[in-house]
Amino acid sequence: MVLLESEQFLTELTRLFQKCRTSGSVYITLKKYDGRTKPIPKKGTVEGFEPADNKCLLRATDGKKKISTVVSSKEVNKFQMAYSNLLRANMDGLKKRDKKNKTKKTKAAAAAATAAVAAAAAPAAAATPATPATPAAPAATAATAAQ
Amino acid sequence: MPQYQTWEEFSRAAQKLYLADPMKARVVLKYRHSDGNLCVKVTDDLVCLVYKTEQAQDVKKIEKFHSQLMRLMVAKESRNVTMETE
Repeated sequence: MVLLESEQFLTELTRLFQKCRTSGSVYITLKKYDGRTKPIPKKGTVEGFEPADNKCLLRATDGKKKISTVVSSKEVNKFQMAYSNLLRANMDGLKKRDKKNKTKKTKAAAAAATAAVAAAAAPAAAATPATPATPAAPAATAATAAQ
Repeated sequence: MPQYQTWEEFSRAAQKLYLADPMKARVVLKYRHSDGNLCVKVTDDLVCLVYKTEQAQDVKKIEKFHSQLMRLMVAKESRNVTMETE
């Protein structure tokens, strides 16, 4: 397990994502960390250890290579921005939702509506030029015949 | 091992689980580009909550959730804790 600095961790994580594009998974683990470097003995006293409250441990692996980093409150702002961008940039192989896509639905509905309006307007347009040209009675019969 | 179908439910349950015992809980994220799916798991080694997705719109939610939890973990509970100079 390689413990890296935050920046280096991000670079290596990008590399992991790129390596696993064709096959394999990327596992990322996030856990609160209290700064312990020695395992807690079953019996006996714990040697003057003060649990730190402001750190978290980030691990990443592709099944073969393992990397990790510790993030503390001082670095979290900068790290988080870079980390978020990294995740969003690399996790792009997922499906776009087009069944329930609202814009597509409204566009389709609008297209259908305009088509219907055009269809309704067509016979009306055909009828109206006919009426002024011919006298009223034959125009009426022509209109009914068109309908 | 409950698997959640809605993000909203999963998010709430996960937050609750973490807040119950911050030191025990961990978040695992598994991404497979070849299969185009993403799986989030939150566990405290007793209870395990899972959410799987193949939708691109969930990436943003999951990434936000991850960041939110990171901030929670890193935030100091009380100001009385002695500053560790490392």
